[in-house]
Amino acid sequence: MVRRAHQLALAGLLLLAALLAPTVSAAREYLQLFVTEPYLELHTGPGRGYPVFHVVPRDASIDVLFRRTDWFKVRTEQGVEGWAAQRDMLKMVLADGSTFKFDVGDRNGFTSHRWEMGMFAGQYGSSTEVSGYMSFSLNSQLALEGAVAQFFGTYSNGVTGDLGFAHVIVPEARWSPFLTIGVGLVHTQPKSTLVASADRTEQSAYVGGGVRFYLTRRFFLRAEYRSHVIFTKRNENEVEDEWKAGFAFFF
Amino acid sequence: MESRFRIFLLTVVLATLPGCATVRGWFHHKPAPASAQAEDDNAPPPRVVDPEVARRKITVPKVRSRNVEVGLNYGVLSIEDFGTHPQYGVTAAYHITEDFFFRAEAGRATAGETSFETLSGTQLLTGSERHFTYYDLSLGYNFLPGEAFIGRGRAMTSAFYIIGGIGGVDFAGDTKFSVNFGAGYRVVPTDWLTVFIEVQDRTFQSNLLGSDKLTNNIEAAIGTTVFF
Repeated sequence: MVRRAHQLALAGLLLLAALLAPTVSAAREYLQLFVTEPYLELHTGPGRGYPVFHVVPRDASIDVLFRRTDWFKVRTEQGVEGWAAQRDMLKMVLADGSTFKFDVGDRNGFTSHRWEMGMFAGQYGSSTEVSGYMSFSLNSQLALEGAVAQFFGTYSNGVTGDLGFAHVIVPEARWSPFLTIGVGLVHTQPKSTLVASADRTEQSAYVGGGVRFYLTRRFFLRAEYRSHVIFTKRNENEVEDEWKAGFAFFF
Repeated sequence: MESRFRIFLLTVVLATLPGCATVRGWFHHKPAPASAQAEDDNAPPPRVVDPEVARRKITVPKVRSRNVEVGLNYGVLSIEDFGTHPQYGVTAAYHITEDFFFRAEAGRATAGETSFETLSGTQLLTGSERHFTYYDLSLGYNFLPGEAFIGRGRAMTSAFYIIGGIGGVDFAGDTKFSVNFGAGYRVVPTDWLTVFIEVQDRTFQSNLLGSDKLTNNIEAAIGTTVFF
């Protein structure tokens, strides 16, 4: 009961912090842009399905409050707030006359981006696996990657964590192959009905490769194979094959 | 009379003499020497005002992205064979495009007794084994965007979404691979706050009651999230 109360208190504190966050950030200075097209359409929400309720005439200025996906929340000189589409925003100019540039997250972004994140379903040895990964690109070809996975087997369950490098061979190609290498930890929990059922954590190393396929916008598919060598405390090391496929996005 | 003529003629002569002195200029329009002109061009122009313009460097404020949504939910979870019980969970989502979002979720409920346990008075599970703890990684798709109205002057954007994913369920001393799918309705009263109701089914293979079977665990929850 005390534990439950602690959890609730923590959750409450988190929510409070979350509620306060927008007020703290409200004091910032906004980007001002000028309309160069005949008009700029403002939608009621951040999506193509939300209706247009206001237009901003040519040469009027707007303040850009923030962005959500491909939409920008803007405020006109009269104080009207609405959502403008990214493709319209890219036709606007700054106060010095230069055009507004923004990372739109297209094919170019697929070639060069900072972060990517994704989820996989797959097979780890003979077990079913759920996995997620995050990667930070050091340049267009080399990325530092971290992955966590949980596998569900007939005789044991477990969790793995990997950290390593990925080398993208042709980053600009739509079908883009890559190679990976790294180290990790495997925590195995044998099912209690078996002998030698103590949980164990072992170090591992992996090498592998895969392919990424750019779908659309910030999305891509990713499939890969990894061969893990698990450094056991027994006489022989274990080798486990990991096959996984899933989707990912970059930002 | 004679002196008058003299004065007149003298005046005329005096008036015309300075004019005649300029006659030379009437017929000889000599252009200025070309070399002298070129020299003038090469010479730096005379500085009338020395401009002291300090170029102002324009700093463009960065546009803040608010694509991450973090929140809590509370509802009921129907654990197959173990009754329906309150559940609570946390969610974190990243909106990739206006249509798709990626969501991670974790939560817990505590199972009750099966009808067999109630009738026989025996216990199949210990206290901690009754915790039904789940997590999942899902992909959601927003559709039917619209607006919800409260009273005359207030409109809130809204959308339905479907969601599906994979994850794990820790229940009855074992962790199982699970597949979850469901649908929800989200209302966004302010730029940063959302309220949603959602129904999801979480399925996994269980052999707890003897034979292997696919269990369906349906969850209905209400929740709130905050955009960052």
